[in-house]
Amino acid sequence: MPAREQPMQVNAGWAHEQSLLVREERHATVTRRYETLRIFSLRAVVMGGILGLWWTASGTLIDRLFVSDPISVVTSFVQMSLDGTLWWHLESTLLEMTLGYILGVTVGVALAIIVTLIPWGGQIVRPLMLGVFAIPKVALAPLIIVWFGIHLLPKVILAASLVLFIVYFSTLAGFAAVSRDLIASIRVMGASRSALFIKLILPSAAPYIFAAMRITLPGALIGAIIGEFVSSNRGVGFLIAYASSRYNTAQVFAGILSLLIFVLILNTLVSRVEKYIARWRPDQVQRNRN
Amino acid sequence: MAPATSVLEARNVYKVFVARGGKARTALRNVELTIRRGEFVCLVGPSGCGKSTVLNMFAGLVTPSDGTILHDGRTITDVNTHVGYVTQDDNLLPWRTALGNVELALECKSVGRAERRERAFDYLARVGLKGNEELYPHELSGGMRKRVSIVRTLVDDSVDVILMDEPFGPLDAQTRLILQDELLRLWQGTGRTIVFVTHDIVEAIALSDRIAIFTSVPGSIKQVRDVTLPRPRDVFHIHETPGFSTIYDAIWNDLREEILKGRDDAGA
Repeated sequence: MPAREQPMQVNAGWAHEQSLLVREERHATVTRRYETLRIFSLRAVVMGGILGLWWTASGTLIDRLFVSDPISVVTSFVQMSLDGTLWWHLESTLLEMTLGYILGVTVGVALAIIVTLIPWGGQIVRPLMLGVFAIPKVALAPLIIVWFGIHLLPKVILAASLVLFIVYFSTLAGFAAVSRDLIASIRVMGASRSALFIKLILPSAAPYIFAAMRITLPGALIGAIIGEFVSSNRGVGFLIAYASSRYNTAQVFAGILSLLIFVLILNTLVSRVEKYIARWRPDQVQRNRN
Repeated sequence: MAPATSVLEARNVYKVFVARGGKARTALRNVELTIRRGEFVCLVGPSGCGKSTVLNMFAGLVTPSDGTILHDGRTITDVNTHVGYVTQDDNLLPWRTALGNVELALECKSVGRAERRERAFDYLARVGLKGNEELYPHELSGGMRKRVSIVRTLVDDSVDVILMDEPFGPLDAQTRLILQDELLRLWQGTGRTIVFVTHDIVEAIALSDRIAIFTSVPGSIKQVRDVTLPRPRDVFHIHETPGFSTIYDAIWNDLREEILKGRDDAGA
């Protein structure tokens, strides 16, 4: 008799365990969905609260002339989008910003590479780079306009100058953080200098470079806008300055809103690229394999 | 009988390190060591005695302050790309899969893509990692990462000397034994030379043909002892092999003196 009872017990235990697994899996899924829902609704509440406060304060606590109100801003935004004004200005700003950003990132990474190739190069130019980095580039805007004219170039350079240094320092920090043991192992394998750089040093520094790229993205926009403030007849910076001089606060905010949307889109783009490059990282692998 | 040829030689080697404060200290004093072709040699000694420094000199990563290091009769002056080097940490590239990491050494030696892949698959299978080729290092256990790291150097057949710096140090006791066993199987019959740094006497006896015992710092070779236990060896029951306790006691006696001396020096 006991010989027949044994498998029965094992089976019962197995079924019990399976039901436990199913229960816990279901519970985990429900909890995860609930948390996502809660975060999204709380975000909506915060945003709604701010907009509501703005709406109520405008015209009661603060003069409508200074802060406009959410509905006027959206109306102005839609109107400018429909008649094409916004696109006309946005196109110019985006071009300046994008070119400046690409220039800043490229030159920043390239400088870091060159300086690393020269023995003690980083230390030699460090005070110089720190000094130039410390200069408020915005204060140079009028001079840059004088040097490079009033069209595209000075704005691109201003945008680049707000990107370059942070990317440079961050890339250098990334190079310095590569494990000495790893470098030694790969050199013993017979890697050439260029192979060492491409296979080890650049991928090791990639997280540092991408962090700098995300941090400096708004900086590129600031550079372009400042350039337009100083001298231009086109661009969102010009639009804002012009609307502001005419006390058209709704239009000012509509201009800012368009920039905000654009930076969010660009940020998503950079994050996508970063995620692709970092697809080996633990959190990414988990997500991809699930 | 023809004398066994030497592969690696340390002749009259000194190493002086200058500390941060500017004070120089002798780390290695007159190290004389000959590694013969095809043998498995362990370097043991009290911690800080410079055994890893000697290994780094064979790899060309550290240059002696005086004396010469020879590989196949040629003086090593730069990084020695004719050896394989397994470090204590597994030093895998985190953004490459197990397969990609094993292919790395072959890429550096410009082996073609198809051949590279085939050999990497073959070697991973030999250490029981078949089916795990596409996993990233962080998805592998410590023992599996160590296997990848060892296989990465073995897969390069242009290399006939493998240097190992306490490779099994960070592993748990059971995994260590299993890996020692696997290493012996991978090595046996290949004719390759292995120089293996460890502080574990049992591990040294289980693996090696000869054991070089270092003095405490400044390190020099105190004694080289032959391990005559028959091969293939059973690492799991090595301490039951006849002759084990004799060699163990001899090495422990050599080492104990040095450890006590090192302790007295530190205390003085």
